Amino acid sequence: MDRRADTSPSIPLRPPAHMMRLARLGSFHQSRLSFMRILTRRMKREAWTFTRPVFDIDANGVGHAVYAAHTPDRTYSLVAFAHDLPADKRSDRVIAEAWDSTFALFDGVPTEADIERLRANVPYQEAGRVTESELSLSRANRSVRLWEYMVSCLAEGRQPEPAEVTKVGYLMRTTAVYGSGKFGAADREAIAARPECNAPFQIEMLSVYLTRTYVRDLMQHMANARGGAKAVTLNPKIARAMGIGNSTGLGMAPFLVNHPELFNNWIAAREAAIARVRSLPSARASEAQLFRDLLARAILSASQWQSDHPVQVEKLAALRPDLDHLAAHVAQTDLRGNMPWNRLFDWAEANLGVDAQECLASLMLEPYGGLVDDLTTQMADTNTEGFRIDGTMTIGAVQQILTQVYDWALDIDWSAKDNCARAWYVSEEKLEPRLGERFDEPIANYEQPLAPGRDAAALSVALTTWDASKPVAEFLLAQPEHRHTVRRAQIAARAPYAEIRDNTIGADLMPIDMLRCKLSFFGASHFDPRSDRWVRICMFGNAPYPEELATSDDHWPYPVLP
Amino acid sequence: MSYSLNEIEAMAKKAARGAGYAWGPAEEAGKAVRWLESHALSGAAALVGHLNIGDIDGPPTSLQGDWSSATGVLCPLTSGAALNDCAEQLADGHIQRLLDVDHPLLILPFAAWAALHIKAPIKVEWDGVRATTDGYRLRHDALNGDPNHRRAAVVICKMDNATDDLRAPALRGAISKDVWQALRVFAHRTYAPASEASRLLGAGAGVSDND
Repeated sequence: MDRRADTSPSIPLRPPAHMMRLARLGSFHQSRLSFMRILTRRMKREAWTFTRPVFDIDANGVGHAVYAAHTPDRTYSLVAFAHDLPADKRSDRVIAEAWDSTFALFDGVPTEADIERLRANVPYQEAGRVTESELSLSRANRSVRLWEYMVSCLAEGRQPEPAEVTKVGYLMRTTAVYGSGKFGAADREAIAARPECNAPFQIEMLSVYLTRTYVRDLMQHMANARGGAKAVTLNPKIARAMGIGNSTGLGMAPFLVNHPELFNNWIAAREAAIARVRSLPSARASEAQLFRDLLARAILSASQWQSDHPVQVEKLAALRPDLDHLAAHVAQTDLRGNMPWNRLFDWAEANLGVDAQECLASLMLEPYGGLVDDLTTQMADTNTEGFRIDGTMTIGAVQQILTQVYDWALDIDWSAKDNCARAWYVSEEKLEPRLGERFDEPIANYEQPLAPGRDAAALSVALTTWDASKPVAEFLLAQPEHRHTVRRAQIAARAPYAEIRDNTIGADLMPIDMLRCKLSFFGASHFDPRSDRWVRICMFGNAPYPEELATSDDHWPYPVLP
Repeated sequence: MSYSLNEIEAMAKKAARGAGYAWGPAEEAGKAVRWLESHALSGAAALVGHLNIGDIDGPPTSLQGDWSSATGVLCPLTSGAALNDCAEQLADGHIQRLLDVDHPLLILPFAAWAALHIKAPIKVEWDGVRATTDGYRLRHDALNGDPNHRRAAVVICKMDNATDDLRAPALRGAISKDVWQALRVFAHRTYAPASEASRLLGAGAGVSDND
């Protein structure tokens, strides 16, 4: 049998109890299953074309532009509005009401009337409204420092220093990309049947991808306007290094808890891919060589990764020597026979920290697109019956699930202050999720159901007085406050990676672990926590621009060695 | 106004929670209103009407026989949830009667999910309304005017075999300003009041995002 057709691996998937701890989830790295990678592979494979039908922006940087992506079947258009934002408005993420640029992804080709409708709404973001013709709504602010540096360099006729560019990594950062029906946009269900929208977040990724090209063009436009005949065009190699920044706050953390089946599917796909590669009996010389090359590029990427946050500084201080250690080990290891990837991974688990283990896990998949890329079709959540509770399940069977999936939570003393010090709530101010101190702030009455462990422990206690042979429907009739937990338990019983198996309300919770996990599946890199609750990242750094896609390297997230 | 189904579900869920339902039933209320609005039925108005009756309703006292509440008014959300939890009963040809149901329209989505589960259409009848659904699609006819009755003496749920003329749902819902505003008022009760501590600590702001 062709070993590539062998998708029933002999190495088992890593167990949920091992995987679903926050320390590990918070150490994930992008992989070829990440959503940006799925998109760029499809765009290349299907030879999408890209046009810029409108670029009507004045010398002050005010106006609008349209960037169109043409798939074999349809067109998606990013409608971008460029604004002249006074410096004092570019102040703070949470209270912002104006941005440098605002965007909507239009489903098809917008008419002038569409553009005028969008102009009256998109610049106001949450305060405006879009329609079912729009698939996403987003905004971005400049990196003031890098923007001015690059505009002035090009205007004066010289190329910017690559080191200055990589220090920041992006010219603009988005602060939100809303999809899936937000603010009146089309629901995911409206487009989910399109092949290019099947994998999660493809629309949002496309919006960011087109935004990156717009930002490059806008910066060049401003440099040309300032420098006139003296201005030069940005060296494409330097442009490649620039991604789109993103500041991500707490909104993403509840997402993982609120979409247990979807989350399971992401983790399960990556774990299946890792198990397939670990199960390979041998590796070709070309595959081993590609891995070695990419490891060197991953080491370069880690060296470019900047953060001032003490937790991230510490993680990088462990990751960098671990990757060097891995490279040294790989240099003297035969990767051809005797289940080479499994041997390597076993070694890593015994010798490297969690961050480097997960980096290696992602890296090992790179040579094996033909073996693992099909798993991306399983990453969406298509189970429409997922939220239904099976009321015929016996109370005893529910108790058994609790013991298997939530054993870690049943041992925690949930009455101890430190174990429930935090509460998730939604503030009336911005209608966004926040995390507060339960015993210091008046928030407990507004708590969101984002502590599955605590709730499972409470359910377990409540069930003890019930006859184990009774159907759980009877229990739920009497105690409906446990319905959401019974639902989660039944989901977790069939979707082993659905549940984060850690305390999400403890005094020592680091929400950025949840953010990094989700963002790694997007394909983000260079996580830079700005506090324990929000993180800045880079998206599409080193990715090919539209005109470079056809000849691009599939392994683009790993920077090319100088 | 035209709303996305996600907007409708999210708002209805928060409204149910704001009115005092536990999170699990509130989640189901959100999905129920979404389902009804996707079939151009006034689920949002029914939910508002139901939430406005206060605490006079209750769940079925027992899952045996006809379902009724100890308070005399049956809650459509908790009894709908029980109907779906026990969908297998309907597959056996059992006819479930629900007595004195508040806003009976809200039962329909739960019957639909039960139909999806048992893979057979279910018919729901009350006060001259007859609705048949296979879970996804719906036919409702012979309506005595408005299906949005405030109360039904008897709601009957049973398996059906006719799947003619079932209509697929739409991808949007149209909800009046007044009804949306009423949902918002209930939903608002789930939001913690703004405070400086919340702004600084809760969202981790206070650090400039300029670079």
